[in-house]
Amino acid sequence: MGQPKYVVLSDIAWAPFEWVSEKGDYLGFDLDVMRAIAILEGFEIELRDTPFDSIIPAIIAGRGDIGASGFTITDERALVISFSEAYWDSNQAVVVRAGSGLDLDMVASPGRLVGAQRGTTGSFWIEDEWVPLGVTLVEYETYPEAILDLLAGRIDAIVQDVDPSKMAVVQYQGQIEIAGVVDTGEQFGFLVAKGDPKEILPRIHRGVAALKDLGVWDLLIEAYFGPSLGAIESAWEKCIAILLVERDPLRYAQCLAAELRP
Amino acid sequence: MDLSVWTQVAPHVPVLLRGFVVNIQLLLGLISLGLAVGVVTALVEVYAPRPVGIAASAYTWFFRGVPEIVLLFLFYFGLSQFGIPVSAFFAAVLALGLRSSAYQAQIFRGAFQSIPHGQMMAARALGLGRLRSIVYVVLPQALRLSLAGWSNEFSSVLKDTTLAWGIGVVEVMRQASYIRARNFTLTLPIYVTVALMFLVLTYVGNLAIGLAERRLRVPGLEGQR
Repeated sequence: MGQPKYVVLSDIAWAPFEWVSEKGDYLGFDLDVMRAIAILEGFEIELRDTPFDSIIPAIIAGRGDIGASGFTITDERALVISFSEAYWDSNQAVVVRAGSGLDLDMVASPGRLVGAQRGTTGSFWIEDEWVPLGVTLVEYETYPEAILDLLAGRIDAIVQDVDPSKMAVVQYQGQIEIAGVVDTGEQFGFLVAKGDPKEILPRIHRGVAALKDLGVWDLLIEAYFGPSLGAIESAWEKCIAILLVERDPLRYAQCLAAELRP
Repeated sequence: MDLSVWTQVAPHVPVLLRGFVVNIQLLLGLISLGLAVGVVTALVEVYAPRPVGIAASAYTWFFRGVPEIVLLFLFYFGLSQFGIPVSAFFAAVLALGLRSSAYQAQIFRGAFQSIPHGQMMAARALGLGRLRSIVYVVLPQALRLSLAGWSNEFSSVLKDTTLAWGIGVVEVMRQASYIRARNFTLTLPIYVTVALMFLVLTYVGNLAIGLAERRLRVPGLEGQR
């Protein structure tokens, strides 16, 4: 008997949680965590790039086993799939044009146009908390589109998770800035089919705990959240064989973090 | 837009082209499937006994009436519910190809009906059977007449291939989103580049169909009733 093989679905265009490198490799925090857990817990994974909106339907239809794509844990989603324990706290950043002088209170006031990516916590937040204050929600299919409209002056602010927002601010140096962070208490979880028929969640929980005990978890956070994407990609390329060939998560994470230290 | 962004786009063009090749593969698959099924459906609609003809009309009604993205989901997620694990690529070819067959059937049906009935009678009078009359007399003329309408369908389905990302086929729009995800500032230039790729292929494709149309034209035959 070989090891069980699980299909991991992820929308691989959301750095630094998951993205495709210049050379076409799949990398990111979620994906490396999945690879490391698979090694520690003795299963194989196949990463499959899937549109975010299609991941839950695909898991329901049996086209995939695990969703690892920065999924916010919500009651609504928990009706149709099962979540792992939370592995990440992510609040929402409010991004504005640099020099606009807007703070959180000024953004959340009547007549403001605030953008968010459709179906994300940011758009739910605006809908629930700010629309009653007189804010108009403008929804976008993707985050970069919202930024283009912000730069064009068509909207006043964007609400998006903190980490992608930080990355956007780095890329649009001097053009946009973070006006503030909204504490939404949002948490990410991995997800599997409702009721976990393949008993994957216990393996994920044991794996995450082991990664934290070994120190791998913190090293991966250090490596993925902060450095530029280009730097992460070259470090990843140097070190990834330690994970995939030698199957040693700790030495891999140490290598990655060491490569990225200034 | 700063001109220097175009020098930043240049290194990404091979990646985009790799995605575009997938669109072309989708196009070839779906348009051949659509052609084969479309011609048969049109023949059935025009020549088969009424009950069969009605079935064919119902088929085209369904595939013309359901949005393409819904068809994609139905084929990709739906078939797996019945234990048929189709790949995303194959599901896309099936869904878009069958949809195209319904439109192509309409093009061919119009062409079949435009061939004067006298030709059929003449063929039968010469001793050809009904099937042979259709295959050797009506079909060649009808296909020739269909080319103009068919070039329209070609341009249309070529662009539809970008919908396949909805079920996870990594085609050119997906490659564009990979690039965009790590270079936010290239969003617009990348899409301009993708637009150019489609414009070129549409132009070349329609040019080829136009040439075929001219080459296959039979002088003196057009416009006769």
